[in-house]
Amino acid sequence: MKKISIYILAIGLLIGCTDNLKDATDFTSVTNPNLDEAAILGKENSATIWLTGLQRQTANVLNEAVMLAELGSDNYVNTQTFFDQFLDALEIRTDDPEIEDVQFQIARLRVMAKFGLESVGPADPAYDAATEASFNFFEGLSYLYAAMYFSALPQEEGGAVVSDIDNYASAIASFDAAIAADPQPQYHLAKARANYYLGNQAEAVAEATAAIGLDDDFLFSIEFDELNLPANTFESALYERATFDDLQPLPTLDFLDPKYSFVDPNVDPSIHIFKAEEAYLILAEAALADNNVAGARTNLTSLLTVVGTREVREVDDSIEGRPDASSAFASRPKTADVVVNGRPGLVLDRQAGDVMIPSVSGTSLVQGDVDAITAANDAALILLHRTRQEIFIAEGLRFADMGVKLVVHQNEFNQNPNISEGDPSTIAVIPSFIDAVKEDLDEITYTEGATTASTTVDLNVLLVQNKTSSQVLPFH
Amino acid sequence: MRTKFSGILTLFLAFIVQFTFAQEKTVSGTVTDDKGLPLPGVNVIIKNTANGTQTDFDGNYSITANKGAVLSFSYVGFQVIDKVVGDGDTVNAQLAPSAAELEEVVITGQGSGISRRKLSTTVDFLTADEVDKLPSNQIDQLLQSTTPSAQIRLSSGQPGTAAIIRTRGAISASSSATPVVIIDGVRVDNLNSNPQLGLATGGADVSALADIPVESIEKIEYIKGGAATTLYGADAANGVIQIITKKGTSGKARFSYEARVGVIKATDDYLWYERTGEALFKPGLSIEHKIGINGGNEKVTYNFAGSLYADDSFNLLNEQVRRNLSFGLGAQVNDKLRYQGSFSYVGFESNLDYNANTSLSRFSAFEGGGRGNLDELTDAQWQAELARSNAIGEEVSINNTVNRLTNSNKFIYDFTDNIQANATIGVDTRTQVQEENQTNAFQIATGSIAAGTADQAVLNRLIRNAFTVTGDLNFTHRGRIDNFEFVTVLGGQFFRSTDRQYQTSGSGGVDGTNDLGLFPTQTTDDFFLENANYGIYFLENIGIYDVAFLEFGARLDQNTQAGDDTDPLLLPKIGITYNISDHDFYYDSGISKVLSTVKLRANYGEATNFAQAFSEDRTFALNPFLGGPSFTFNNPGNPDLVSETVITTEYGIELGFFQDRINLSGTRYVATTEDALFTPPALPSSGQLDQIKNIGEIKNEGWEFALSADVIKTEKHALNINASYNINDNIVVSTGGAPAFNVGGFNVIGAWVEEGQSLGYLRGTSSVRQADGTFAQTANAALGDTFAPNFGSFGFNYTWNNKLNIFMTGDYQFGGKIVDLSFLLRHLRGVDDTGIPADLIGTTSPFNYVNFFTFDNDFIKIRNIGASYSFGDALGLFNDLKVGFTVTNPFNFGIDGQFDPETTGSGIGNQNGFGSGGFAYGTESAPRIYMTSLRFQF
Repeated sequence: MKKISIYILAIGLLIGCTDNLKDATDFTSVTNPNLDEAAILGKENSATIWLTGLQRQTANVLNEAVMLAELGSDNYVNTQTFFDQFLDALEIRTDDPEIEDVQFQIARLRVMAKFGLESVGPADPAYDAATEASFNFFEGLSYLYAAMYFSALPQEEGGAVVSDIDNYASAIASFDAAIAADPQPQYHLAKARANYYLGNQAEAVAEATAAIGLDDDFLFSIEFDELNLPANTFESALYERATFDDLQPLPTLDFLDPKYSFVDPNVDPSIHIFKAEEAYLILAEAALADNNVAGARTNLTSLLTVVGTREVREVDDSIEGRPDASSAFASRPKTADVVVNGRPGLVLDRQAGDVMIPSVSGTSLVQGDVDAITAANDAALILLHRTRQEIFIAEGLRFADMGVKLVVHQNEFNQNPNISEGDPSTIAVIPSFIDAVKEDLDEITYTEGATTASTTVDLNVLLVQNKTSSQVLPFH
Repeated sequence: MRTKFSGILTLFLAFIVQFTFAQEKTVSGTVTDDKGLPLPGVNVIIKNTANGTQTDFDGNYSITANKGAVLSFSYVGFQVIDKVVGDGDTVNAQLAPSAAELEEVVITGQGSGISRRKLSTTVDFLTADEVDKLPSNQIDQLLQSTTPSAQIRLSSGQPGTAAIIRTRGAISASSSATPVVIIDGVRVDNLNSNPQLGLATGGADVSALADIPVESIEKIEYIKGGAATTLYGADAANGVIQIITKKGTSGKARFSYEARVGVIKATDDYLWYERTGEALFKPGLSIEHKIGINGGNEKVTYNFAGSLYADDSFNLLNEQVRRNLSFGLGAQVNDKLRYQGSFSYVGFESNLDYNANTSLSRFSAFEGGGRGNLDELTDAQWQAELARSNAIGEEVSINNTVNRLTNSNKFIYDFTDNIQANATIGVDTRTQVQEENQTNAFQIATGSIAAGTADQAVLNRLIRNAFTVTGDLNFTHRGRIDNFEFVTVLGGQFFRSTDRQYQTSGSGGVDGTNDLGLFPTQTTDDFFLENANYGIYFLENIGIYDVAFLEFGARLDQNTQAGDDTDPLLLPKIGITYNISDHDFYYDSGISKVLSTVKLRANYGEATNFAQAFSEDRTFALNPFLGGPSFTFNNPGNPDLVSETVITTEYGIELGFFQDRINLSGTRYVATTEDALFTPPALPSSGQLDQIKNIGEIKNEGWEFALSADVIKTEKHALNINASYNINDNIVVSTGGAPAFNVGGFNVIGAWVEEGQSLGYLRGTSSVRQADGTFAQTANAALGDTFAPNFGSFGFNYTWNNKLNIFMTGDYQFGGKIVDLSFLLRHLRGVDDTGIPADLIGTTSPFNYVNFFTFDNDFIKIRNIGASYSFGDALGLFNDLKVGFTVTNPFNFGIDGQFDPETTGSGIGNQNGFGSGGFAYGTESAPRIYMTSLRFQF
């Protein structure tokens, strides 16, 4: 009797488990909160959200590329950071994980842009020409950065390397597609920059002119999200330093530091990747190359006009040390009376109250300097490149101006059948005249308390001295 | 119902009869064991009544009983005997060891448990007595130095942190080496790493191991993987820690109380600068109260324990509080069905200091030269540093609160004498709240923001809820045909776990509040993992003439992490055990007087580890960006993803000499991880994230030796010594064509996975002087194994007259390497060039001579020294009064660099990630604890 009642109960339970209680007893179903492809493709406005993803991805590219480029240039010395261990000494290695990160982020920008063009956009009922143009622009941007920072990079997963010249050409093709769909000044300027580095003076001039023709003081920026990330890594390095990270600018650039500082808890300062200033600088340099002194003066005057309209931020930089207190490195100029390389007014005293720092473009160039240009000579070129250095500080262009190129990372050539260690793409490109002084690029001569300081190398002079090299000053 | 009612009626009638016809008298006597030694604590109950008592320390008891009453004498490990009260007033009893004691039953695997002599695998034990005398409240620290073949390394002295646990080498590059932890058959959260959204405090992360309930432990079994864990399936390849709790013993209720008071003092054995200790360390106190009630009758037994623990640590900042409640119940529901239930609650609160790899860590800053060469600072400079350090310390606010509830219910049903069913169902739920408040004052003190700033406070809060449900149903059949004995187990098991994490951050706040709603800007992040694992298993153990045992079985295992294109995994096991010394001819021969036990064993088994939930899927991410949504690619996906399988072959021998006064155990194992889960770097040109794949192969082989010897065994004195030595050789046989990849450490010197090297070996650029005096640099040079390949434990236990106990435990390791990152930083900061050739400094980056920062990680550490004395009933009022004193971590030997080779705090940042160890940096060593205890029953 007892057994029968147990059997009845068991059968009843089993029936219960297989019917109404199924959900309660199914221990094998799990909830997966992740998005799959079906959640994206074909959804209205998915292309717009994908485009925001591309803007965010460009912020990721800049976080990697700007850091390496600025450390590798003479702009900053890395007294105590671990952002990269080697680039500051221009030691470019195939095992440097930061170089892999740049390569990866550039490739990710490319595959995201292509997925937008090929899959997301066409499936979105609300897809429009402006969005398609943007996708083309970001694809072009990935080729542009590939060419600016690498002597060669693949354009496909595991593909053969494409030279910087061909990457610039691909960038131009993409920018052309963007311009055809939705002309924007930044598209023209992007194309101008590609042509500038290729040495295509006429095309560069045409595109720079077209850019400022659409908007003579335009500013195209990549924003950073302090709240949800990515925040601006370079801002962290320059300003939110805590007690560990200490990037120090060359004393000649002290008045431009920190270009990025705290904005608010939501937004981090933007990096201005295309701005009208670059168009005027390209036009001025082309004019000098053409011996057109008046043209150069006109464009530099326009440059100063635009710079004069740009934001200057009042910054409490009192926690900045020269160098940081926890650093064991030598002291650096930190009072306003210090004259660097014979030029006064370049160093700010950060303990004497707030300092005024240009957040877009700043320069020590004044109208008098422009007016004093009387010949398209090396002095004018040095002045122009000093101005380029100042205007583009913390934007990653100086490194490209130096003609230095990074290498394909070992994780690529160890897996990519088309690339082998020892190939030209795996060997750093450093112009010989820079290689000879690379240890001294950040070096200064300064004694604590002195009122004069000097940099060991004036790279602008060096660049102009070697202007005929194919690696630098592309118009010469 | 009728049975139950009649039972109650019978009891009632018996009571009435007894009440009516009682002719009471006082009966007394002595209870001894089979050797005639008195047995204290024996339960003496009058059958069919609730009356009972216990023997005192000398084995004596007295009880009021009637003539004709039946006295039942019971004691754990001995057979129960009944004696009738006759005319005399004295009833003595001699108890014989129970068969269970002779054949120690191991709970391991599924089914009804199986005697140890039938097993071809080894299991390490910790008994209730051993647990009770250890001062620690953490499972990892209980096992450290007390299990012969586990390598348990305390990664930090910060409260709530736990050890990296390994046994037979590193078997997986994708997951932590932490064993599965099972309490009374129920899996519990064992996350021994920072949660996915865990707060970035630097490196020493709080661990779920720190709050595994350790109250009322009857026994801990440590099963090391291989064939022993085949039937557990799922992620049991790292081994299983089984905790079996007390369910009470029948007899009169026994109340116990224990108080522990300790002094906690930081060790400065490993400080580079004495001043670091001066700035940060301060001895603290620990106080603990424990109470327990244990008792029951033949039908129902119960055990309750509660404890309250608090300490204020070894420094100026840390504090921790633990609250424990546990309850165990055993019930003979009817003559067929037994129930065993347990419930435990752990509440744990602690706070952390910033440590290891964060610029906010004062310890790392001091030891890493971030505040200059402390030895060279003037007194005035040092006073300024102290003031700064104290100002920061007062503002550090990182708090961790855990509440954990664990429940197990086990039903044992005896269909017949030969067939038994076991059903277990239980849950573990653990809620962890971590909170970090970087106030304006804190940021000003560290120099991160300018003085006077009042609107940049940041509050981070993580809430993690881990829930696991376990169910198991199995049937065991025992049979015998002539000289063959069969134990057959058939069962099914499942568990599913859900891990939900929310992190909320508020920024732009003012000081003085922990209310996130008061912060002007807030963000939330979310992380979710859910998986289900299930399998059916079969086991057959065949006894041949009761001397040899053949065991074979298999598990068919499936889980929801497997890719769409995969099938369930079939995991087989087979083993053989041959107890040569159990042959009559052997026993009769003279040799057994010298070599009393000879047991040979061999086995083969497969066990698995699964990948993180959802890692098989191709997914997209939707990230908030500048107030709107943004898409990007996420996990690339792998429809072929399956668990990695560890295939172990093991051979062993057990030898006992002189009636097993000396026991030697030796085991040889070869364990190959096939389809090893590696996450190789994607081609950078793909622009896609790295995807976990079954592409690797890892091989561990080694030896395990253990010695236990009763050096002295007389009526009054007993001295046991034990020692173990283990060798592990680990190699990555294949990376499946993937290039070497980094699994830990830093850019310049990291832990790597590369073919032909040990898993997570140290790799960096070395500089070695050549014959011509110059230095040659070698990029990607192999600098050593992070896991010390040689390790073991040792100890002794001495008792005098069953009253005085003195014990010691310790462990050691050698043969591995570790990077002293504090030294690297001191050197980079120009304050320490110790041991680095002067003609090398300045010629190249220090990152090109990292071999000079790499040291042996050898050590010998004494973990516990303790003494206790039992006064028995000598003090009258209380029974079994015991006082004890222990010192934890008293001695450290073998210091190569000036750092602790054990504190690899910056090891496991990723959820359940691989912990390579190998990097000592910026976190305090486990402190020295001097503890006294007082315990009694009444």
